[in-house]
Amino acid sequence: MRMITKLFARIPMARRQHLLTLLAGVAAIAFPLLHDNDADIDSAANAAAYATLALGLNIVVGFAGLLDLGYAAFFAIGAYAYGILTSFQVMPHWSGFWEPFAWLELVRRIPQPGGDLVHFTVSFWIMLPVSALIAAAFGVLFGAPTLRLRGDYLAIVTLGFGEIVPIVVRNVDSVTNGAAGLNGIQAPRLFGHSFGVAALPYYYVAIGLVALLVFVSIRLRDSRIGRAWMAIREDEIAAAAMGVDRTRTKLLAFAIGAGFAGATGTFYVAKLQTATPEMFGFPVSVMILVMVVLGGMGSVWGVVLGAVSLQLLQSWFLEDISGWIHDLGTLIGQPWMLKIDLTESIELIFGLILVFMMLYRRDGLIPATRKQSALSFEEQHAEVRRGGFPALTGLGNFTHSDHTGLEVRDITVRFGGLVALNKVNLAVPAGDVVAVIGPNGSGKSTLFNVITGLTAADGGTIRFDTQSLLGLPPHQILRRGVARTFQNIRLFTNLSVLDNVLIGQHARLKTGPIAAVFRPPSTRREEAAARVWATEILSLFGNRLLPRATQTVSHLSYANRRRVEIARALASRPKILLLDEPTAGMNPAETLELAEQIKSLHSLGLTILLIEHKLDVVTRLADKVVVLDHGEKIAEGTPDEVRRNDAVLQAYLGRGTLAEGMVDA
Amino acid sequence: MSFSDLLLQQTINGLSLGAMYALLALGFTLVYGILELINFAHFNVFMVGSFIGMWTLQLMGINGQSIVMTGLPLIGTMLIALIVTMVLSGALGVLIERVSLRPLRDVKGPAAMITTIGVSYVLFNIILLTVGADSKNYPNPLPPVQWDIGDAVLRLREVLIWVIAVLLMLGLHFFVQRSKMGKAMRATAQDPEAARMMGVEVDRVIVIAFFLGSALAGAGGLIFGLYYNFTSFIIGFTAGLRAFTAAVLGGIGNVPGAMLGGVIIGLIEAMGGQFIATAWTDVIIFSILVLVLVFRPAGLLGRVAPNKS
Amino acid sequence: MKSRLITRRHTISLASGVAATALFGAHTARSADKSVTVGINLSLTGADAESAKRIEDGAIMAFDEANATGGINGYKIVVTPYDDGSATAGQYDPAQAATNARKMVSNKATVAAIGPQMSGAGKAMAPILSEGNLAIITPSSTNPDITDPKFAAQYRPEGKAIYFRTVATDAFQGPYMANYYADVLHVKTVYILDDSGAYGVGLADAFQGQAEKKGIKILGRDRLDPKAADYTAVLTKIKSLNPDAIYYGGVLQAGVKLAKQAYDIVPKMIKGGGDGVQGPEMLTAVGYPANEGWYATVASPHVTEDAKMADWVKTYKAKFNVDPDDYAVTAYDAATVILAALKQVTSNGKEPTRDAVRDAIQAVKVNTLQGPVSFDANGDLQDKTISVFQIKQDKSIPADDMRQYHYIGIAPSA
Repeated sequence: MRMITKLFARIPMARRQHLLTLLAGVAAIAFPLLHDNDADIDSAANAAAYATLALGLNIVVGFAGLLDLGYAAFFAIGAYAYGILTSFQVMPHWSGFWEPFAWLELVRRIPQPGGDLVHFTVSFWIMLPVSALIAAAFGVLFGAPTLRLRGDYLAIVTLGFGEIVPIVVRNVDSVTNGAAGLNGIQAPRLFGHSFGVAALPYYYVAIGLVALLVFVSIRLRDSRIGRAWMAIREDEIAAAAMGVDRTRTKLLAFAIGAGFAGATGTFYVAKLQTATPEMFGFPVSVMILVMVVLGGMGSVWGVVLGAVSLQLLQSWFLEDISGWIHDLGTLIGQPWMLKIDLTESIELIFGLILVFMMLYRRDGLIPATRKQSALSFEEQHAEVRRGGFPALTGLGNFTHSDHTGLEVRDITVRFGGLVALNKVNLAVPAGDVVAVIGPNGSGKSTLFNVITGLTAADGGTIRFDTQSLLGLPPHQILRRGVARTFQNIRLFTNLSVLDNVLIGQHARLKTGPIAAVFRPPSTRREEAAARVWATEILSLFGNRLLPRATQTVSHLSYANRRRVEIARALASRPKILLLDEPTAGMNPAETLELAEQIKSLHSLGLTILLIEHKLDVVTRLADKVVVLDHGEKIAEGTPDEVRRNDAVLQAYLGRGTLAEGMVDA
Repeated sequence: MSFSDLLLQQTINGLSLGAMYALLALGFTLVYGILELINFAHFNVFMVGSFIGMWTLQLMGINGQSIVMTGLPLIGTMLIALIVTMVLSGALGVLIERVSLRPLRDVKGPAAMITTIGVSYVLFNIILLTVGADSKNYPNPLPPVQWDIGDAVLRLREVLIWVIAVLLMLGLHFFVQRSKMGKAMRATAQDPEAARMMGVEVDRVIVIAFFLGSALAGAGGLIFGLYYNFTSFIIGFTAGLRAFTAAVLGGIGNVPGAMLGGVIIGLIEAMGGQFIATAWTDVIIFSILVLVLVFRPAGLLGRVAPNKS
Repeated sequence: MKSRLITRRHTISLASGVAATALFGAHTARSADKSVTVGINLSLTGADAESAKRIEDGAIMAFDEANATGGINGYKIVVTPYDDGSATAGQYDPAQAATNARKMVSNKATVAAIGPQMSGAGKAMAPILSEGNLAIITPSSTNPDITDPKFAAQYRPEGKAIYFRTVATDAFQGPYMANYYADVLHVKTVYILDDSGAYGVGLADAFQGQAEKKGIKILGRDRLDPKAADYTAVLTKIKSLNPDAIYYGGVLQAGVKLAKQAYDIVPKMIKGGGDGVQGPEMLTAVGYPANEGWYATVASPHVTEDAKMADWVKTYKAKFNVDPDDYAVTAYDAATVILAALKQVTSNGKEPTRDAVRDAIQAVKVNTLQGPVSFDANGDLQDKTISVFQIKQDKSIPADDMRQYHYIGIAPSA
């Protein structure tokens, strides 16, 4: 055992994953050949089917963070789609219309004394992808009106759908045969031979399906789409501000997850040759959720392991353990032990797993986030660098004529009875640095929110580059070139520094889900270029961020997290950058360093709108300063002019101080 | 039976159902109002409560519907059964909160809700494995008294349900509105941090909310058994989903909303069974759930301030 | 760092555990010389569990008796029970039944099977059993579709009959009860209910067809959800229509609740059902006075109270501590058929194979407790007797004794 571990440790990290996958694959293929028990192979095939279900739910819950408690509905849709098209349930009368379908072997003509009937015999292999598409379509149908709901509400609505589908199935019994179940569903046929009752061919189909869906999951996870999903999961608002189209991205997750379930549904009933509404109720949705929770939300191999181990627990272990208890009971003469049947208690075990995992190991058996090694001393030691940076290839040399600047006119924002902004005017000419200052609660962040589309305006106009920004969703505003950071830092907490910055590029990259799976050369080039760009931006901050590129941002210091946020905003190649208190939490040396870096960005041509409390930073950076107080602009001018302004002093220091002449104006 | 009598009878049926759903919905909404937590275990506390009531009555020597009592002994027996059921169900709720929810109080995300699903399963299966899957005949000492209104019939047990439900709801209302602890609960519902800083023992408030909610669920379970003369391990799911919809319809977190929602869902179930078909009742109720959440998540009475009666 | 190591260890130990158990499991397969396996599939979980137990006991009694005398030509009978009931369904679960059928077929030692108890399970199992050419004899599944040649392509795709019955079908149970309602009870109007399951719907349909032919007016037809608790809405509707009688096609999960609530709302109405309401739970879970007066039928002759059956009943009661019901008898008969078939196949010293046993069952002519048994080409019992019972409280016997169902007679066949 130790020799094996030593050998194992010799293999580099990247290869390890491949080796393990290879071993798992070989074991899976060899298993039925070594162990010739049909019932066990059947259980293993069931386990594989549940693994694909878990993979699908993992995309919805694990990647995108959408809690779906009615996932079994899509399982049902895929199952009944295949069932209806291959059983004797729906038999319309024969007519000429059906001739071409008969020629394609999709239907068969059944001679009947009262008039010939049509018997649907659509091939299993055709239905696998078709059911996936049908289920995905239902995913879009259910998701479109509901995905904008908040976490628990979404869970309830999905639970509702999860119940409605089996009930409809139960009641529309002309099509589905209701509670009695759809019987006589056709087994798959390959080269003229039907799979029949032997478990072996089903097992290999199931393994193939698992392999395919694991591949798709991993490809999606490591792509622009996967990052967008995880961004939504971590912080929806920040994701939108970084250019992620939330509705479309969520629908994509929902639809792909549904598609996985639809394909599995077809496979499952093809094997069982029966479909009943009971097979798809809430307990099934919960079981799949338990598998995902056990394995680790977001972890592809984790959920496969979770599904397989729970299913095998149910079919092998519990039966065997019950058998041992029975034998023990007979041995020691305790007849009550013969009554114990542990297979009945599988649901009790599910409940206990949910409770224990949530209380003690929320990450699951195989956590999704990878562990990082500790940094070396040099990597941890960071020096303050002065002077900013001379160039940033990729940001380009923006000339002033690239856009006409930001114009905010008469903007009013009301929250109930409170007026947060009252007819505020602000102009940021192209290529300038404008600072907005004011006491707490004066509306500075609200101003940022209304410019970037996170808050609705109750009056006024906002134009960037002469085009109106009002009414646009945040991700569209980002695409126009308006990027921002947040006062309270909204990073994607459980993702790495590099991933955070890559998500900043979401709007500038083009890879969609299909390209993510197939990875054509254009996608590979795009990903490589994205990483180069991200590394460049990170290197702006010396060795503060680069050595930590693969670390989770939650482990970073407060100041470093601010820097990551700025890096993320820069990654979107903005034309104007809105910085909300960028130097908060930094000591004077770091503040100066960052101020000079911002100055460099400015000299490269970036327009900057800045909220700051530290007046020395404002003086150093700003061409113009705007002062807000209680939602109104009370002063505007150069830093010097504003410093001497009476109204400003009054706002900051209170009326009394001015009168007493305590301030040297 | 004339149409108006039929309508009257179905209304009586609907109101009785509604009273049960309202009791269940109330407890659920209390917890949500304070913790913003969807407690799936609540509906199986209802089911366990029904069994506790059954065992209490059996311990008092009542089995099946053969023994009939009247007058003081009846009231005494009912009171004892009710109190024991409510206290033990409340204790169960407190236990659940302590063991499985308090450690997760500060964890963001669906972890707590998922835990309640787990607890729900545990309760359900413990009962299933101990008492079996078949329906149990419920001990019921109520005399089969009924009053005829035309062709419609009003039975003693329906009056009993209404009386108990209304008394409990009024009691809860006064408690939440008038008592000091009630005020503390309303404060915690609005802003736990601020409440804590004002000296409110938030932990204690939550424990009391769980106790009350679970006690109401237990009372609902006892009433269920007395009304239908049976109980089984599965009653939590079916009644639960309807009570859930009732709470959402009235406005999650809103106490009068839960009562209103319960009555409406009960009437829909009765009228739907009469005029459409019982098979479609579930679809109607779930569709209501989905539609309310999509188009009016605040429900009928809105989440003005959670727990404001 | 630490937790990663732990998870890897966990994974490895899990994998080894799986491997170990798999191999271990393979080795503990009992290797008895000269035995055959008979599978028994019944709904041992849920609302019909008590009836299932009586059926299982009936079959086991026959096999134990055979084994006690050395088996059949030296072959011992090993019984493997399967449960197609699930807690979540609260009764039989067709998907579980299908899984059990696969298990039975894949166990090479199984030469025949008994069951299922419920037709809903039978519909799911039949195609799989046909593909495996495994014969099954049911003591209580009465839905006629499974053996109907019209649906042969669906239920026996391989052609040969594999679903045999020692009980008549609903093609007779429903209509004969309609005859009883019309001729004996003089019912003029009826309201029909079913429990949405395969058996219940089929039985109700069969009853409805014959009732219309006999001139009974059908005032309405409704479907009950076995999981729902409340049937007051539909019962109030029935009350307003005021039929002479109700007929319920279905099993006990809904039946128990229906009986209780019907007693509250329409106590004086005539109420009846098929063999689905002939079960111990009707006595224990419903209780008096609610179950008083309910009619039930059984799709076989009623022999447990015959004088010549007294010894058999005594042996059964002593061995299993409960009274046998009519389907315990048909189960014993099913086992008797299998034993006769086995005897015939092994009489020349030949090995009993599945195919041979099926053929032998098809051709069997044997005397059983209910009388002489043989099957037609579809697997149906040649004899078609429907017995009618009514629950009448008898204080001299325990409240859960099946004799509370008083035997009235045979239902009229026309």
